[in-house]
Amino acid sequence: MVTARHIVVPLLLALASASPVRSEDDLGAMWGTAEAEARYYPIVTIPIPPGVPLRPGGLEVIPDGRLAVGTRRGDIYFVKGAFDTPPRPEYHLFATGQDEIFSLSWRDGALTATTWGEVTRISDADGDGVADRYEALTSNWGYAEGHEFAFGSKHDPEGNIWVALGLSGSYESHNLFRGWAVKVTPQGRMVPVCSGLRSPGGVGTNAAGAMFVMESQGPWNGCCSLKPLQEGAFLGHPASYNWYPFAPHVPAPAVEPRSDSRMAIERRRVKELVPPAVRFPYIKMGRSISGFRTDTTGGKFGPFRNQIFLGDYALSIILRATTERVNGVWQGACYPFREGLATGIMNVEFTPKGQLVAGGFTTTSQWPVRGTEPFALQRIDWNGVTPFEIEEVSIRRDGFLVRFTLPVDPQVAAQPGSYTITSCTHVYHAGYGSPEVDHVAHRVSRAVPAEDGLSVRLYLDQIIPDHIHDFDLSKVRSRDGKPLLHGKAYYTVNEVPLE
Amino acid sequence: MAVGTRVALNRTSATPKTRAFRAWWVVARTCILVLLGMPSPRASVVVPGLDATQLEPWLKGLVLVEEMNCVACHPGDASLAARSRKAPRLQDAGSRLHPAFIESFVRDPHGTRPGTTMPDVLGTLTPAERDPVARSLTHFLLSLRPSSFSMEAPDTVAATHGRRLFHSRGCAHCHSPRDERGKELEPTASVPLGALEVKYGFKGLVAFLERPHAVRPSGRMPDLQLGRQEIERIAHYLLQDTRVPGRLSYTLFQGKVWEGIDGDNVRAERAGHADGFGAGSLAKPSHHSAIQYRGWLRVTKGGRHAFHLTANGALLELDGNQVLQLKPSDRRGPKTMEGFADLAPGWHAIRLDYYHTGHEPRFSLEMEGPDTPRAPIDPSRLSVSTDDIPAHEPFRVDAGIAEAGRRHFEQLGCARCHDDVQVTSSPHVAWAKLDVRRGCLSGGPGPWPRFDLSPQQREWMGLAWARAERPGLDDRQQVGKTLAALNCVACHERAGLGGPRPERVALFTGTQPNLGDQGRIPPPLTGVGAKLTPGWLGEVLLRGGRQRDYLDARMPRFGEANVGHLVGLLAKVDVLEPASIPDLAHDQEVKDAGHALVGATGLHCIACHMFNGQRPGEFGALDVARAPERLRKNWFHLYLRQPARFHPTTIMPAYWPDGRPGSVQVLGGDAGKQIEAIWAYLSDGQRARKPLGLSRESNEVIVADVAEICRGQGPVGYRGIGVGYPERIHLCFDAGEMALRQLWKGDFASVSPGHFRPRGSDLITLPPGIPFHTLATLDEDWPAKRKTNHAFPQDHGYQFRGYHLDARRRPTFRYQFGNVAVEDFFEDVRNAEGKAYFRRSLRLDNQGEPVSFHFRAAAGKDVRRRSDHEFTCDTLNLRIISAHSGTVRDGEHGDVLVPLSLPRGHTVLSLEYQW
Repeated sequence: MVTARHIVVPLLLALASASPVRSEDDLGAMWGTAEAEARYYPIVTIPIPPGVPLRPGGLEVIPDGRLAVGTRRGDIYFVKGAFDTPPRPEYHLFATGQDEIFSLSWRDGALTATTWGEVTRISDADGDGVADRYEALTSNWGYAEGHEFAFGSKHDPEGNIWVALGLSGSYESHNLFRGWAVKVTPQGRMVPVCSGLRSPGGVGTNAAGAMFVMESQGPWNGCCSLKPLQEGAFLGHPASYNWYPFAPHVPAPAVEPRSDSRMAIERRRVKELVPPAVRFPYIKMGRSISGFRTDTTGGKFGPFRNQIFLGDYALSIILRATTERVNGVWQGACYPFREGLATGIMNVEFTPKGQLVAGGFTTTSQWPVRGTEPFALQRIDWNGVTPFEIEEVSIRRDGFLVRFTLPVDPQVAAQPGSYTITSCTHVYHAGYGSPEVDHVAHRVSRAVPAEDGLSVRLYLDQIIPDHIHDFDLSKVRSRDGKPLLHGKAYYTVNEVPLE
Repeated sequence: MAVGTRVALNRTSATPKTRAFRAWWVVARTCILVLLGMPSPRASVVVPGLDATQLEPWLKGLVLVEEMNCVACHPGDASLAARSRKAPRLQDAGSRLHPAFIESFVRDPHGTRPGTTMPDVLGTLTPAERDPVARSLTHFLLSLRPSSFSMEAPDTVAATHGRRLFHSRGCAHCHSPRDERGKELEPTASVPLGALEVKYGFKGLVAFLERPHAVRPSGRMPDLQLGRQEIERIAHYLLQDTRVPGRLSYTLFQGKVWEGIDGDNVRAERAGHADGFGAGSLAKPSHHSAIQYRGWLRVTKGGRHAFHLTANGALLELDGNQVLQLKPSDRRGPKTMEGFADLAPGWHAIRLDYYHTGHEPRFSLEMEGPDTPRAPIDPSRLSVSTDDIPAHEPFRVDAGIAEAGRRHFEQLGCARCHDDVQVTSSPHVAWAKLDVRRGCLSGGPGPWPRFDLSPQQREWMGLAWARAERPGLDDRQQVGKTLAALNCVACHERAGLGGPRPERVALFTGTQPNLGDQGRIPPPLTGVGAKLTPGWLGEVLLRGGRQRDYLDARMPRFGEANVGHLVGLLAKVDVLEPASIPDLAHDQEVKDAGHALVGATGLHCIACHMFNGQRPGEFGALDVARAPERLRKNWFHLYLRQPARFHPTTIMPAYWPDGRPGSVQVLGGDAGKQIEAIWAYLSDGQRARKPLGLSRESNEVIVADVAEICRGQGPVGYRGIGVGYPERIHLCFDAGEMALRQLWKGDFASVSPGHFRPRGSDLITLPPGIPFHTLATLDEDWPAKRKTNHAFPQDHGYQFRGYHLDARRRPTFRYQFGNVAVEDFFEDVRNAEGKAYFRRSLRLDNQGEPVSFHFRAAAGKDVRRRSDHEFTCDTLNLRIISAHSGTVRDGEHGDVLVPLSLPRGHTVLSLEYQW
């Protein structure tokens, strides 16, 4: 029987990083940049024929160039012609009958799907174009309550799938390894990696190959964040401490974090605590960030090569992030990229042509989504025109280096007053989300544009670890006098370089 | 004992109670007599099918002879008696009908119900003489059984729905359509209803509509097979003018009531009478509801009146003037306020809208006046009307008067027609001796029952009279007579006979406007015997079979005794020329061609037609996969070649115009071969392979020629795998414990994201628990997943490894138990009687040292051993067909255990599950 609870409990609670909200809740102001964005990155809708319930969860491009879409209904479609302009999609039903599919990855002649309860290798042995082998690589985590999501990565170089397991009901950990990330080997062995997750929404690597998970705002998480999956790490939410006895090779932390503290303070107490690499200020930079992919198209998608692109479910937007490793700790920045997609974005995938496919759906429950389509498959194409954008913010011992996609007006760029930099942090606590606290206005002492105008070195009076540094560069102009397409960037400082 | 007669009224010994009854009876009867006495069109006997049909005149006369049951008084041939319409059963008349109506109807049937077939049997009496006879007959009928007659305030909200249903479900094709105020618009051409509120109480009418044949066995009032709610709504509509005393009328609204009760997101739920103000006066209303009360407030001493109100929101009006208004809000709790009104003594119209919403909703209304201290309004000051409406009181039967009535019933010959009452009337002149120039058909006065016949009707009957006993009808006449008598032509056109009245065709509606007239008007009966298989015709006529769910009109049931003969007769009467059907073997190649034609890349039939219960996008035309079940093959060929021949307005295209090759090049484009291929393909019915382009949007997973799987949360936990098999038996396998958990039959499953649940029937649920285990002792509990054994069943050596599909997409489940690799396959097979069951084979590959353990083959409450190889487990029969034996353990869940000793290598364990 489907119980009333199962119907009422919105399946996407864990994805939506907000506290329970009603549909009339404000989704926050839009950036208001959609029209300008469209001049560089038009959105192309890939039509879905009637009768195809294509609510995308997992996306993958298979070797013959078709797009594989794993759906909420548990089907996998192969879509030919999705990358054509205009798209001429032909849908082929490859596999059916699975639980909700959240992730797809191709390797060695098979698709590996991650669903609520299983990592399944799906292949077509008799070659008739329809799957006939469904091999469970693992189903060894507990799955017995709502919200116990499971998001999988692409295969890592060793062929492992990394899976992030959401908490029971998104608050507690009642079933085995809820709140952990595990690694599933090609032989089907499940290796617990790290604890401390709340309600993840996507797993993937950065350009350096380091594995990250997208975490949702909630208890012990002031906002959505990109967290590195490191062996033995504790990622912040202590509900999953109870599974260390089931992972004997992962040493249990000696202490638990204290509530109503700060991440920087608790890092000193809990040695295993690894801070989020990139924090996404709530609403301003996403509300329920989901699947993400790194742009390895070699420039086909524009000036942001090797950067991370992330979908957001509630706001129907795409965000951008950069990461760097400082003193052995991952940190980085996030940036607005594209708004105005048609539905709640569950996942994204780059195409061989350098387009970014985004797909997802809305639900009939009270979870708000800005996009209005019940489900959609869309594509963001780069039309070859370079927008004037902040390309990347990276940290220096005494300030930041800000790179731009086009040369800046050197005179404006050299004035410290062209840069408004503030910072704040979140309370690290068991309560839901966090206000932004400990606000600081930073003084830019010097701004030195590079000769080519593509970067500016900023010197600050202070850099504060554990703070999100909010860059407002809207006064900066390009060499031909244009403002930035997006003037904002948010850099999460965990460490300050020693050199 | 005093009784409600004028004579009794003069008695002085009456108790106060009987006086009250008398007063009620006088008023009630007066009201009804006034209503009944209103001028109404004098109509001749109405048999509505007669006017609409083109029967020969003498045949119309025969219909009248049978409809009026002439043979009941004039004994004749038994076949005429059998064919004639039975009069309403009267045993329960006292519970069904208002006593005043009975009296009035008996006294003057034609004045009371113009058009009725009931004769006036008191024609020889003076008006003064009629009254006591009618009264005594009423007492007699009410003496037959205890009466449960009651009257209820009508639910005006339900009546609004009822009006729509009355006009759309089909009632208004025999009975007259009504205007907005309930007035019958075409009474002379309809079975008369008149003012039903003086005839029925709500419960009595509902009971009649639910089982009309119990009262009227001849099926002229057919059973529309409506659900209880629709019947109640129609009853509220027909009785909307019922008046009963009460304190207040209310209407209950639900939805976003804080936007106001007229808002788009608010709907009226129900209405009726309430004892007073406040939510407590109704059955507990749900949150987000509003109640509008209307009634009259009686003021005893004039002056300024204060009203004190606590509510989330409310509007109080007196005589249309606003006294208090508080706008409701869902974001706060109740507020308190007060208002004043200067009121003269007497009645004042009062209206209160109360909003039961927001935080902790609560209500109180108090009034303070010159002669009343502040207090809730005393209900005795409230009334739904300023008129004094008498309450219905149970009728009191006077045994003496009833006995007189019984004698009248016998002497007047009532018992000849109403033969369910245990009274015998002596027969009248025998059929053979009748002289139609005298008596009932003469048109003149005389000592005979008076039928309200028109001269034309008398003429028709005169033509039929002599032949009525043995009319010697041919099949066509027989069909025509039945279709006329039952008024089938009110809804169905039949060439040469008649069809729906043009002025009522607009009443037909449907849920699929895209289908045009075919989506709203019931199908024509022209040639229906050559179109439908006898099986399906019988299904529709006798067993309520129905495929046109998009029609709002309902095909009623008339009763097998009344229409059973049509199944055979229609097939004999309706003949079409043979179509040219090519001789094509129904092999796989031909079926594949049919599959290609039906699908999206062929003729794309499923663009409009349902397929095996699955609905295409915007249309929901008849299910093509069920066509061979309904249709004769010859008709199918003729129809597909020229659809407009059978349905001039059809939107179905002609794919082979003039027999030319079609645009799809399957089978050379040959029309006959392609149609035959479609027929061959569709003849697989529910097993027909799903055509290309069939929508997957439906929540129901339909199994066709290959197995279907769905996974997720379900009745057996979060890791269920449901498998639907083409033989229409299904199972649920728990991938968490690697155990068979459910078996069922029929429809497969419904799915929603991450969930599925079985449909169908004959569901067997087996308890949780792993399949293999080494029991230390036979007393040990069989291990199963609990909340806290987190590592179970991996800690028992289990690992689920997924499944492989065979050519028919049936899974072989694969899992590891220690060193034993298991392949677990369920095959859907049929036994000699055609009954489907599962044959299960477990192929165990022991890759380690020899090992022994138990296999739990089944478990349940009532587990019994038939032999070493045969067991029953509740309704499941289990047979071990490999060379293994089982034992039975008792307990809360008894189980069938099969001890296994596995050498290294393969062992196969085979079982059968039948239920």
